[in-house]
Amino acid sequence: MSESKAPSPLRSAGALQNRIIIIGAGHNGLIAAYYLAKAGFEPLVLERREVIGGACTTEEFHPGFRASLAGSTGPLSSQIINDLQLHRYGFEFIQPKVRVAALNLSGPPICIYEDAKRTATELATHSRHDSEKYPEFLSCFDNIGRALRPLLTMTPPNLDAPSKSELWDLGKLGWKIRGLGKKDEYRLLRYGPMAVARSRRRMVENETLRALVAARGIFGSFAGPWSAGTSAPLLLQAANNGNPIAPAAFVKGGMGALTDAITKAATEAGAEIQTNADIAGVLLKGATAVGVVLRSGEEIFARAVISNADPKTTFLKLVDAGELDPSFLQKIQNYRAYGTVAKVNLALSALPNFTGVDETEKLAGRIHIGPDIDYLERAFDAAKYGDFSSRPYMDITLPTLTDSSLAPGGAHVMSIHAQFAPYKLKNGDWESRREELGDAIVNTLSDYAPNLKDLIVARQVITPLDLERRYGLSGGHIHHGEMSLDQLFAFRPLIGFARYRTPIENLYLCGAGTHPGGGVTGAPGLNASREIIKDLKKK
Amino acid sequence: MPSGDYLWRVNDHAKTRREIARHSKLDAEAYDEYGKAMVEMAHFVKPIMNMTPPDPASLNPKGLMELLTMGRRFQKLSGDDKYNQVQLMTMSAVDFLDQWFETDVLKATMSASGIIGTFLGVRSPGTAYVLLHHYMGEIDGAFRSWGLSRGGTGAISNSIADAAREAGAEIRTCCPIAKIILKNGQAKGVALENGDEIYADIISSSVDPRLTFMKMIGCEHLPEDFVDDIKRYKFRGSSGKVNLALDALPNFTALPGAGPHLRGAVSISPSVDYMERAYDDAKYGRYSRRPYIDIVIPTLTDPSIAPPGKHVMSCFVQYAPYNLKEGNWDEKREEFGDNVIDTIAEHAPNMKDIILHRQVLTPLDLEREFGLSEGNIFQGELTLEQLFFLRPAPGWAQYRSPIKNLYMCGSATHPGGGIMGASGRNAAMVILKGK
Repeated sequence: MSESKAPSPLRSAGALQNRIIIIGAGHNGLIAAYYLAKAGFEPLVLERREVIGGACTTEEFHPGFRASLAGSTGPLSSQIINDLQLHRYGFEFIQPKVRVAALNLSGPPICIYEDAKRTATELATHSRHDSEKYPEFLSCFDNIGRALRPLLTMTPPNLDAPSKSELWDLGKLGWKIRGLGKKDEYRLLRYGPMAVARSRRRMVENETLRALVAARGIFGSFAGPWSAGTSAPLLLQAANNGNPIAPAAFVKGGMGALTDAITKAATEAGAEIQTNADIAGVLLKGATAVGVVLRSGEEIFARAVISNADPKTTFLKLVDAGELDPSFLQKIQNYRAYGTVAKVNLALSALPNFTGVDETEKLAGRIHIGPDIDYLERAFDAAKYGDFSSRPYMDITLPTLTDSSLAPGGAHVMSIHAQFAPYKLKNGDWESRREELGDAIVNTLSDYAPNLKDLIVARQVITPLDLERRYGLSGGHIHHGEMSLDQLFAFRPLIGFARYRTPIENLYLCGAGTHPGGGVTGAPGLNASREIIKDLKKK
Repeated sequence: MPSGDYLWRVNDHAKTRREIARHSKLDAEAYDEYGKAMVEMAHFVKPIMNMTPPDPASLNPKGLMELLTMGRRFQKLSGDDKYNQVQLMTMSAVDFLDQWFETDVLKATMSASGIIGTFLGVRSPGTAYVLLHHYMGEIDGAFRSWGLSRGGTGAISNSIADAAREAGAEIRTCCPIAKIILKNGQAKGVALENGDEIYADIISSSVDPRLTFMKMIGCEHLPEDFVDDIKRYKFRGSSGKVNLALDALPNFTALPGAGPHLRGAVSISPSVDYMERAYDDAKYGRYSRRPYIDIVIPTLTDPSIAPPGKHVMSCFVQYAPYNLKEGNWDEKREEFGDNVIDTIAEHAPNMKDIILHRQVLTPLDLEREFGLSEGNIFQGELTLEQLFFLRPAPGWAQYRSPIKNLYMCGSATHPGGGIMGASGRNAAMVILKGK
């Protein structure tokens, strides 16, 4: 587990040469710490809370019951898993046979398995057409994903003056995309701005399956399946994992075990991590960062400061506005980060009975509630008018089915990611309406699992406001900001500031508010550390 | 406005500013800044309107040079302009306007131009682009002004026809074309519905690709990919038109009397939520219970189109989705018309008393009468995935078609709809170059 020392004031100027402060012990910050330590620097990660992990934590929400905050992993970039040798630190992936079961009220669920053949066979009972097209569907996505993969670990180019190597990299990417053949190349050009509900219409006709694919494009977003641009996050995910249906990969011990393992790797490499270190702001000398100041008043100096916090928190709370260009500030104010996700954790005395689901095995992956595109769209409609959906879209897991360490014997944890619960409510506020939201979620679920309410021992409802207050996520946005076309890649978080550097010298960003955005991939941390090392080694 | 108030923008900039200031001083100042920024954006985009789109998939060096030049022009923009340009291409009209203004009714009416002719809501990403598209209307060099032509828009077509005839063109009406004649895969002429055949070296179609290729040629003569793309090309008509012959002028409660405010457009778009809910209805397959209506009374600037003292009220209505979940447009036409008039009557109570005659054009009527597939007024939606080098199909955005000697010159090509004439001109240039 992480250390809990009181922050030690820096005395020796010698250490200043190598000290780098990382604000926030989220998974990206911890990953950056590892790479910086390996490069010979002395990273000091300062975490406000008493636990590390950011949004990737496993917390006991009821005596004996533990749940992850963030859902299953991205997946985490394999490069990171290998570099850090995470398996040495107790990190264990559990991959159930079933990726997801999409429930509907009228019959058996649509199950997507790791085994493509099994999936295609079962799909035939729902749609002959989809069953036959399934292999093509998979390979098309896989091809596009492979062509786009270099994007994930690429630093977005400097639009004003791209360097030769950047142009070369972009050229290579362009060539790879050309290699897809005209058909797929055009497909790619068209997909980016498209609404996810429109894409792959030819290949998938079953409504529930279409909704399943579409859900991936709106996960954590302020968008519905008919919103243009929702195919872009889908493409990014294709780059990460070339399967059109998001994976279900659990970490033994919950997501906190992942960040624990990263912490161990980073610590062994030479990084120092301190919790209960509440940072009041970045210490500036003119427009240069020279360290941080804690709420206690203590100042810690460093050669560079990296923020794992989201862009709005970083620039609007931690940096003195006087040192930032008013135009920059205004644009950061306009950076859209209005969360729509609520998390509900249920402690259950036994496994619920889901109508139409005969085998428990089918519940071991993710469970999707969003039976058709219109359902997802209606859930989104509510958010537009400042209300939460009375029939929300949900992505659910029962992690205890594959990891009994999370609850006492026979009992279960149900971890529910629900949309849409907009950060800004038109009527009332989240404090007073928290339980109402919890009720709406449990009621909707009870339609699919009629005995659910009898089994609930305890319930924890985490609203966007809670996400903001407890986890420091501005607007409660789990991706550190909307993953829309104008806030991706060379525009994330802002055009001209999409290369992990900020207008303040020696201040950097390394969280999901930078390319390639949210989802637990670790890529922002990896990319940021690379750029920072480049900069620091030059000086 | 729901409160009974109104917001009025006029050609007199100072007057508009004072009027906006009546609602919000901040917005009045922002309005100037906004105008300047939009003009900058329009200047940047304008040359793109006039170019033939390059083909990113081709190895043609000229095409690549054009893309590079565009990239360079973008690079040269100031930081703020780059930011605005990216936002304009991707954001929703309301999100974009939220960054400038606070007055809800101002945002509602401004965002309305972002959804004209589209099957999108004011909060849908991609609608900020359409805002710009409308900002580029140029009358006598004055960017962004709209004009009402004397004699209606029909007069514009007539003037163009006159000019064409004078240059040597021949125009025949009442000549419905049934098929394009092919010989050895090449276009040789057209066959009229009455059986007559007219041969030509070059055929250029200004009707949309669905009509051109599915109806007049037939899928069997076309490459499979192209057919897929044309089938996929989105029309999704979303608007209807209600034309009213009036005995007198409407009397709007918010601004009573026959004042100068009636000479422009009267916009029924009281709030952003109102606009968005109108779109929600369409998403689920019904016409908007409370539609967005853009009203023009052209007789106030051109009395020649109605008997003296009488008026014409032209109402553009959204949303009227081509695909209804229940029933069809023939059944629902009158009900739709009633709904429009009821909505206007809420703002102008004398409405029902002054109507002499009404004409309701549903998307189905637009399709039947005017050859606009699914009633889409732009010959296909103006969404990013079917614009520029993707319009109407990837690889076929240069006014040529897979059939030799057959070209496309309507709004289903770059730069899209709106009465600009750029498609026709660009296509003509390509045809001439081909000779």
